[in-house]
Amino acid sequence: MLSFQSSKNVLSLTEDLLVRIYELLAAESDRKSFRLVCREFRRIDTLTRRHLRVIRIEFLPILLRKYPRLQSLDLSACPRIDDGVVSLLLTRVGPGSNSPILGHWAWGLKSLVLSRATGLRFSGLEMLARACPCLESVDVSYCCGFGDREAAALSSAVGLRELNMDKCLQLTDVGLAKIAVGCSKLEKLSLKWCMEMTDLGIDLLCKKCVDLKYLDVSYLKVTNESLHSIASLLKLEVLGLMACPLIDDVGLQFIERGCPSLKVIDVSRCEGVSSSGLIFVVRGHRNLRELNAGYCLSELSTALLHQMKNLNHLEVIRIDGARISETSFQVISANCKSLVEIGLSKCLGVTNMGIMRLVSACINLRVLNLTCCHSITDAAISAIAYSCRSLVCLKVESCNMITEKGLCQLGSFCLLLEEIDLTDCCGVNDKGLEYLSRCSELSCLKLGLCTNISNKGLSYICFNCLKIHELDLYRCTGIGDDGLEALSNGCKKLRKLNLSYCNEVSDRGLGYIGRLEELSDLEMRALHKITGVGLEAVAVGCKRLADLDMKHCEKVGDSGFWALAYYSKNLRQINLSYCGISDMALCMVMGNLSRLQEAKLVHLSNCTVEGVELALRACCVRIKKVKLFAPLRFMLSSEILEILHARGCIIRWD
Amino acid sequence: MSSGILEVPKGASFTKFNTQHQQKWEDPSSTSDYSTRIEPPFQAFNQTSQTQSLLLCNNQIKVPMQDGSVNDLLQASKIQDWDPSAMLNNLSFLGQKIHQLQDLVYLIIGRKGQVLGRPDELLVQQQQLVTADLTSIIVQLISTAGGLLPSVKQTLSAATTSLGQCGEFGGVVFPSSAQGLNDGVQPQNAGGSKVSEPPNSVDITSNNGNEQSNHIIEEHELKDEEDAEEGENLLPGTYEILQLEKEEILAPHTHFCTICGKGFKRDANLRMHMRGHGDEYKTPGALAKPTKESSSEPTIIKRYSCPYAGCKRNKDHKKFQPLKTILCVKNHYKRTHCDKSYICSRCNTKKFSVIADLKTHEKHCGKDKWLCSCGTTFSRKDKLFGHITLFQGHTPAIPSDEIKAAPAGTSDGATNKVGSVNFNLSYVSSESEVQSSSMDIKGGIDDAVGYFSPLSFDTCNFGGFHEFPRPPFDDSESSFAFLLSRSCNYSQKSGEE
Repeated sequence: MLSFQSSKNVLSLTEDLLVRIYELLAAESDRKSFRLVCREFRRIDTLTRRHLRVIRIEFLPILLRKYPRLQSLDLSACPRIDDGVVSLLLTRVGPGSNSPILGHWAWGLKSLVLSRATGLRFSGLEMLARACPCLESVDVSYCCGFGDREAAALSSAVGLRELNMDKCLQLTDVGLAKIAVGCSKLEKLSLKWCMEMTDLGIDLLCKKCVDLKYLDVSYLKVTNESLHSIASLLKLEVLGLMACPLIDDVGLQFIERGCPSLKVIDVSRCEGVSSSGLIFVVRGHRNLRELNAGYCLSELSTALLHQMKNLNHLEVIRIDGARISETSFQVISANCKSLVEIGLSKCLGVTNMGIMRLVSACINLRVLNLTCCHSITDAAISAIAYSCRSLVCLKVESCNMITEKGLCQLGSFCLLLEEIDLTDCCGVNDKGLEYLSRCSELSCLKLGLCTNISNKGLSYICFNCLKIHELDLYRCTGIGDDGLEALSNGCKKLRKLNLSYCNEVSDRGLGYIGRLEELSDLEMRALHKITGVGLEAVAVGCKRLADLDMKHCEKVGDSGFWALAYYSKNLRQINLSYCGISDMALCMVMGNLSRLQEAKLVHLSNCTVEGVELALRACCVRIKKVKLFAPLRFMLSSEILEILHARGCIIRWD
Repeated sequence: MSSGILEVPKGASFTKFNTQHQQKWEDPSSTSDYSTRIEPPFQAFNQTSQTQSLLLCNNQIKVPMQDGSVNDLLQASKIQDWDPSAMLNNLSFLGQKIHQLQDLVYLIIGRKGQVLGRPDELLVQQQQLVTADLTSIIVQLISTAGGLLPSVKQTLSAATTSLGQCGEFGGVVFPSSAQGLNDGVQPQNAGGSKVSEPPNSVDITSNNGNEQSNHIIEEHELKDEEDAEEGENLLPGTYEILQLEKEEILAPHTHFCTICGKGFKRDANLRMHMRGHGDEYKTPGALAKPTKESSSEPTIIKRYSCPYAGCKRNKDHKKFQPLKTILCVKNHYKRTHCDKSYICSRCNTKKFSVIADLKTHEKHCGKDKWLCSCGTTFSRKDKLFGHITLFQGHTPAIPSDEIKAAPAGTSDGATNKVGSVNFNLSYVSSESEVQSSSMDIKGGIDDAVGYFSPLSFDTCNFGGFHEFPRPPFDDSESSFAFLLSRSCNYSQKSGEE
């Protein structure tokens, strides 16, 4: 963070120098500090800012007026946006009635993220598409109401190059045809979970949008016909076919002969695909960079292995769930020397010897996933650590035989390690953590179910790994308040923390948690010692808290919930099941938390039906998903249920 | 132009069919004759002599019944129909030819083994010879088969020009005379029967060069004759152009009873009607189709012109394309130059001028739910997508009723939303006076008594608030009262719906 002793120094800097300094600030929090320094700095911020992610829709008009040079606008955090808001934003007349700011912000906009904006319909989208002539990228993923009419509205943005329509459940071939004809320059398109899509739509798309480089049709019920069409795309580089149940080896034969630019293919979880299908793909594309075939192979056959010898440029391979022999590792390591990532999750036949052979040649490996490879021991880990010095991510969940010796090697050689998953590795102890703490770049550490670690071990990590932003201590019963104290002193950047079932944690521990200003996700199920005091400390301290799970925290009283309702303004998801919250507090929480989208409210023993009803009434305008106790279905008034339904809220009855 | 001209081709074309039909009605023994005509492929396996005797027997029966000219004509057409001896000749010739070719190829193979890779002029010549021979064999084989199969006729007509050039086989394959040819060349009229059409079109066209070849097609396609003739290349002057007047084209009847004056669309119907006027009209001769006057001299091909000036089908047009039959003229004139008076009773949008078109449409009307932006409808989704693939800029149209339905369902909610947001935004813009203004606006917007009724403030205890200092990042929306009131506002309104 910058600090200026004298105002003269600040003023002596010219504008272009300030802009340069500003551009060097990477973290959003640093930029925030920068613009809070003085008016001049704030002016620099408004002039140079290109990207804006809006958290609260109420500020949108002011922000858009303040930042006229926006190129990228992210509205995914305000799902309440609807057609009315859009029309106001675009036609809004400023204080001087004929001011030139009429929708001015939209002119330069290139990227627009409208993910989860379920309120936005075709009229709003049409206005947006017309107002933003330079629009190149749009994300409408998870807009459940996005259908053909919306697609038609969006298709008037002719310059569109990237479009994400994941989980637009209403979208059919007709809508896709609108997009394909209207936006013929499309290069990147994602259609995951658009379940209405058929071969006809994909065929038309491939004929109209010949510039496509990235196409994701994962989870669609498309058949080999679609692959036949896709094979005609000359520029296609990335093809996602994850979990397409109807495609099989015959379809992949088309891919063998087509798609000359193909670099990445994902056929994971495709039931119909076998190794012969993959042989087709590999035979046709010697320049393949990434092959994702998780959970579709029963075995890595020798025929496939023989073809894979030619993939000299292969960087990523994932064959999760397949049976693999020791000799296969030898072949892979001898031929695919540029491998960067290997996924062997739940593979059978992964042994120490195999891993040793693999890593002996693949020295550039950065990501290695060995989840549930139970026969791995310290010998393999040592070999990995010794060979792959640039390892960034290692996942060894459920590898019970790993002990401090393996971690010692990792701590000695893999100093670039950023992410390690040691969930359910009983062999990890305090000593092991001490060795591991030498990896000072560590940002994500998962220690769930490691019952042998204590506060001491955690404190080593907290002392050395200051960059940690995700820590999982699920059921680490040895961790108590002292460990959390160390955590709050060291890992100031922590964003995600799981403390569920760490029974020793009390109010004092949560007090330390409250010092973590960056914390956004907190899971603390079944902490029986904590009360309202602890929750209050968290609510007051963790201003960015967005996701809170406190199921089974029975001792927390109303005072804690009052505090939560009052301070945790950014809360988006909350789980209050089995909590002792009262009617009044529930009403306050649900009514006052203006960003709340999802709530789980099961088994609230101190709440009455009227209380739940009132709470739902208080939040019905913004809530998107709510889980309720099943018998309430017949006790709540039909009026409130209708309102929730009309607002697009999904109710799950438990 | 008078209707007299109209009569000429019709009478001529009826002659042949008429006699044949009559023959069949009267003589049960001629059913065998019928079978030979209908199923020529089976005949190929029969004894040649047997067939010939059958034919002979038929002729004998016919002779006493018909006058000389008709008999001649019949005989000619018989021979032309299918001649097994000619076929046998043909096949044996083909066999010889193939054997010769086989020998030649053997020779070439032998040479190749001796002098490998040497570019030999002789070899090249032999290769050309082989290909030429093969081509001729193929063409001949097709034509031989085509004589038997009526269904192959159309494809054959294209190949016949090259057949004509082959020349050397002409005499062997096609023993037909010019006299027989003329029967087939007659323009068909509406009453033309398919049964009587001889399967010898190949022979005709091959001998007459490119004079005329497509006449069979027009009979099969009563509706699309305008398109079917696009490929026809008749040289100007090689055919006679007839032009009917508008009134004639649009007249409902073309045949009138000379006694009572009643009009009929078909000549056959008129003849049936005539029976009522006396016994003299009941004789087989009177009921028979009017015969051609003379089929010995080659008939001039007749083509029709549309009377509408400026039409492409009008003879004065630069790129004049003649119409083939009177039916073509009628349909063309009605479709192109008349009002579309027949409206589909189901969709009330599609209009037609030819009633047959309306009937065709009505079969599919209502099934066409796939609509293109250009207005074309399709009964199948894949057809629509094929159309969109073909045409630049066309997109599938989303049915208009959906547009109306969608806002209607949510209109209340939508206006409600806009209202609330509007309120919200204006509220935000006056940031400086956040707290004070919130109550004012709220009061000003809605004075309804029951405004707060679902969630009265009395039930909420705000006392707890005082325990906490105001949060440092307080924003404009933090007012609990404001929030609750707005949400209640919504529920209140939707409750009224």
